[in-house]
Amino acid sequence: MAELWNLIILNPMLNGLIALSSVSGGSFGLAIIGLTVIVRLILLPLTLKQLKSTKALQGMQPKIQELQKKYGKNQQKIQQEMMKIYKEAGVNPLGCIWPMLVQFPVWIALYQSIMRALATTPESLLNLFQHLYSWEVVTQAIPLDSHFLWLNLGSPDSTLILAIIVGGSMWVQQKMVTAPSADPRQKSMNSMMLLMMPFMFGLFTLMFPSGLSLFWAVSNVIGIGIQYWITGWGYLRRGTSAQVVTKVGGKGGITKRP
Amino acid sequence: MKQVKILFLIAFSLLGLVLASCVPGGTQPAQGWSGITLNDGILYMGSMDGKIMAVNPSARSQNLSFPADGEWEYSITAPSGGGLSCSQTSASVAIYGTPAVDEALVFSGGYNGKVYALNASARSQNLDFPQMRDNEWFYPKTSEVIGAIVGSPVMSEDAIYVTSSNGKVYCLDKHFGDKKWESDVLGDKLWSTPYIEGDKVYISTFDGNLYALSAEDGSITWSFATESKIGFVSSPAVHEGIIFAGSFDDNLYAVEIGESGPLWKFTGSNCFWATPLVSNNVVYASCLDGKIYAIDATNGTELWSFDVESPVVVPPLLIDDSLVVVSDSGEVYIYPLETDASVGNTVVSMLSIGVSVQAPPCAQEGIVYIRGQDNCLYAVDIEQGRVIWKFPLTTQ
Repeated sequence: MAELWNLIILNPMLNGLIALSSVSGGSFGLAIIGLTVIVRLILLPLTLKQLKSTKALQGMQPKIQELQKKYGKNQQKIQQEMMKIYKEAGVNPLGCIWPMLVQFPVWIALYQSIMRALATTPESLLNLFQHLYSWEVVTQAIPLDSHFLWLNLGSPDSTLILAIIVGGSMWVQQKMVTAPSADPRQKSMNSMMLLMMPFMFGLFTLMFPSGLSLFWAVSNVIGIGIQYWITGWGYLRRGTSAQVVTKVGGKGGITKRP
Repeated sequence: MKQVKILFLIAFSLLGLVLASCVPGGTQPAQGWSGITLNDGILYMGSMDGKIMAVNPSARSQNLSFPADGEWEYSITAPSGGGLSCSQTSASVAIYGTPAVDEALVFSGGYNGKVYALNASARSQNLDFPQMRDNEWFYPKTSEVIGAIVGSPVMSEDAIYVTSSNGKVYCLDKHFGDKKWESDVLGDKLWSTPYIEGDKVYISTFDGNLYALSAEDGSITWSFATESKIGFVSSPAVHEGIIFAGSFDDNLYAVEIGESGPLWKFTGSNCFWATPLVSNNVVYASCLDGKIYAIDATNGTELWSFDVESPVVVPPLLIDDSLVVVSDSGEVYIYPLETDASVGNTVVSMLSIGVSVQAPPCAQEGIVYIRGQDNCLYAVDIEQGRVIWKFPLTTQ
């Protein structure tokens, strides 16, 4: 299984990353940025599907809240009615999860590629040779220059700059899609999620090689761009007091806010 | 919606686990692959759990309890942040270099960026380290470090030379650990073992340079750079005024000291990771492509090669008239060398110890000592073609 994973996903991505570094004038930082952009473009259809599903589900929140008020603690009835609403709107409640799960192996491979290519320990460097193609553009690029801007891509960023960029961009991205909720429990959970993930990734940035953090930062920025393209600034601009104005189509489609 | 949120939470937690290195191959911890030095009948090596050990092969062959006569161990630890925990703990330090031994003193460099001189007598008695009266020391003498040490320490009559991941070569007084000199930064990081010949220290670097430094003051007396700055992956070997070193682009370079161009290049199908062995004008080079090459040292012509079907990470050994090759997959091959090197050779014996081998072995009196990546020491009798004893280095 591991060999199949290496053969089909990891090795092409790893060698692609190193080749990109070679054609980027030996800058591994630019290669990480380039590969992140390429991967996000390839995954764009899935990302759009995920965003649309999420948006459609959020658009149904007022109706679901009404159901909760109407049926109180009768969870079974609420579930039944919710499923009816989803069916009528043509929305799959798990529709926003599957595209994300499908993307997971790609993110894992990208993560592994960056870590392997950086070869921070002697074992990693030796191991790297088992994954390299005999392309001149690849073999001549090794070992990679781990310096990019103020960063040593093989070590955590000792300044807080990258941690703030990663955490901040993640917060912005999440804030754009997190719908305000009247339900106190939901509101509390949203607030927790909104803070927990940026905080966690900010913390990871202080612990993991900054090459990986650079990938998170770039990925977040691209995510914000895609989100903006679909919904504008979304809930980031409207805050929590504004009304959600989303028209849910028969097939779960969305109408871009003017 | 609640279920969806929970799924989100699970998915993000999974991502967290992935990033926390739970996916194999994400990050590889430094474990070390210290080789073995034989001195006065005792084997010295670093274990994979951060110990410098002295092992008596005679005691091991009798299966005596450790430590027997002449045996000892010393754990090198360094403060560690303990992952997500805020508390400070001690972690074992990886040891990559083969220890250098001078009578009672054992020199070793740690991945924590410290150089150690241990006295066998003081370590046998398990006294506090360092025992100044026994010439024990560590460098730097403060809590500072000089950058992770991967190459082996190399000795001259009164000095120890070590390379560091900070890109410098350090020359230390053998008896007191005082710094005699440190070189300029020679590369991004230096993981190679220096080669000392006469009053020169030869170094290969990851950014494609070979340097000759003055052993007296560390000044650069000669340098060579590969075309396109292709880096050197192996440590250098020097033979009759020629430096041999493997590069990242699958070439083995031969460069005459003092010249600006290579004497010859020999291309394999992967890197020449291990330091080549040179004898009688023949270069024996282990390659990660799974072959051993015998190359004419004067012109780079291939004399013969043999496919061991597994990458070879460690240098071959020359024992009497036989070449002993240990592959990464743990196979030990023995080749009798013909007087005419171009004739080629036939493997007369092969055995397997069944574990990965990345630490340079050593040999004496027909016995090859191999440290496997299972952290066990193996004694292989090459005449009998079998493992005569095995000693776990972790259980002590």
